[in-house]
Amino acid sequence: MLEAYKISYSQRKFAILQNIDVSVGYGELLVIVGPNGAGKSTLLSMLANEMGKNEEPIFFKKKTFEDWDEKELPHHKAKFSQSNSQDIPLSVKDVVMMGRYPYFNASPHKADHDAVAKAMQETDVTTLAARDYNTLSGGEKQRVHLARVLAQLDNDVAHKLVFLDEPLNNLDVLHQHRILHTIKNFTGRGNTAVMVLHDLNLAAQFADRVLLMKKGRIVSHDVPDKVFTKEIISGVYNFPCTICPNPVNKNPLIIFGT
Amino acid sequence: MLASAVLLLFLAVLSLYMGVYVFEKYSVAEVLKGLVTNDSTLSESDRFVMMDLRLPRISMAILIGSALAVSGTCLQGMFKNPLATPDLIGITSGASLFAALAIVLGASIRPYIPEVFHFSLLSFMAFLGALFTMVTVYRISTSNGKTNVIIMLLSGVAITALGFAVTGFLIYISKEEQLRDLTFWNLGSLGGATWTKNAILTVIVVVSYAFLINKGKALNAMMLGERDAQHLGIPVERIKKQIVLFTALMVGTSVAFAGTIGFVGLIVPYILRLIFKSNYHIILPMSAILGSVLLLAADTVSRTIAAPSEVPIGILTAFMGAPIFIAILVKNRKSMQ
Repeated sequence: MLEAYKISYSQRKFAILQNIDVSVGYGELLVIVGPNGAGKSTLLSMLANEMGKNEEPIFFKKKTFEDWDEKELPHHKAKFSQSNSQDIPLSVKDVVMMGRYPYFNASPHKADHDAVAKAMQETDVTTLAARDYNTLSGGEKQRVHLARVLAQLDNDVAHKLVFLDEPLNNLDVLHQHRILHTIKNFTGRGNTAVMVLHDLNLAAQFADRVLLMKKGRIVSHDVPDKVFTKEIISGVYNFPCTICPNPVNKNPLIIFGT
Repeated sequence: MLASAVLLLFLAVLSLYMGVYVFEKYSVAEVLKGLVTNDSTLSESDRFVMMDLRLPRISMAILIGSALAVSGTCLQGMFKNPLATPDLIGITSGASLFAALAIVLGASIRPYIPEVFHFSLLSFMAFLGALFTMVTVYRISTSNGKTNVIIMLLSGVAITALGFAVTGFLIYISKEEQLRDLTFWNLGSLGGATWTKNAILTVIVVVSYAFLINKGKALNAMMLGERDAQHLGIPVERIKKQIVLFTALMVGTSVAFAGTIGFVGLIVPYILRLIFKSNYHIILPMSAILGSVLLLAADTVSRTIAAPSEVPIGILTAFMGAPIFIAILVKNRKSMQ
């Protein structure tokens, strides 16, 4: 699905990412975790082709991003960014409809309206449809953009890829789980998701594989059970922790400060 | 959309009837009919007023109004701010500065070139001035796709001040005939309308609209931020280059032919935003028509309100535009800090 080798990025001679190899398979949910300044968001940007060229090409479905048709690519991959614009003087529905821009020229078709309605349902913003985007709270705006990203990938393409940079910030527990289930559902149909998360327990519960980073390097890249061990986590976060099996679902449960 | 097109047509017809000159024996409709059927009883002065004064002037108001409004809307989309208009960020001044240079310095070569190239020289210089200022202002005020509004407006102030200084100096050293040309530039007037100018304007407007008028979706998406727009398949860099080039072309030519008519690019999108929010998909094509309506109305008023003399049209647009400028400032004062 997505293969990248030797990703490096530095800003003013300060190395943010150093020689990172990542590959993500079909139907996989990869969660990137790590302490502040680990380079998680930068890695996601590099993988999503936002930062310009890496020295080694990044292959998405066996093709480099340069080889992709720029009109075709938005049907295959989308990204949810962390720093969403605060000032968009439009209605919520208009913002979600932007996700359908790759699909119509002059005015949206019925399929576009359907995709928007469905995406708004999934992220629970249907009741906000007519509201002015600028009057929403932070968490609501977040859900509007998630709906936009979901609407963008609502099509017949077989294997799609979504990047999500801390999609759960500002969300309450209900919506955190709802969004994660939606994403899990998405990857269950053969699609791929690469997501940056801060909450290790949610990562342990939902991820197929976890990529743990620190200071621009990969510490561990494996299934949650192998990554979330007492030695690795307390070392990387520089904080004591205990890890025991979650009594409900048997995933690793990380308890800090003990 | 249709309603505003009908309004424009109605205004254009109304404007034909307005004016100091009273047609000798026919009504406006009969004069028009006479022109079409080549009626020999039509007096020479009737024919002249209709064909060489009113019609070209109305056409020019429609073309320039539309061009200025569309330029304003596109710039606001690119700078992501409702105050980014050709006049406020100094593009008009840049264009008139270069035009003034062309008038004074071009005087020595002017007698030797045919009339069509007079316009071309002036328009070309005005276009260069507009392009140069736009690139400068954008470079100064924008980094990583985010515009610092205060820097943007202040660069406009600085360039306008420079424009005033140079134009003032040119007025000081220029001869009498050049002087008349220069003052005309500062006030703005559609009095110099001719069919040659209209033909040039039409070509420029048609070509520019072919590239710009369907960019509404792209401008909407750019409100998300440039990276997110790119994920939606919007070629942000290419679109920004097109906007810079074609608005410079339209503003430059408008300035060369009608001087600095301010605020059209501010008023029109502001009114449309009140109705349609910032949905560029709607307001970009609408501004093309509403711009014509506004400038045609203003020009008709300017030549009838104090007849037989003429109020410079820039005064009228400033009367409408300045309060709107203040209204936008008040509305955005929190986000400007």
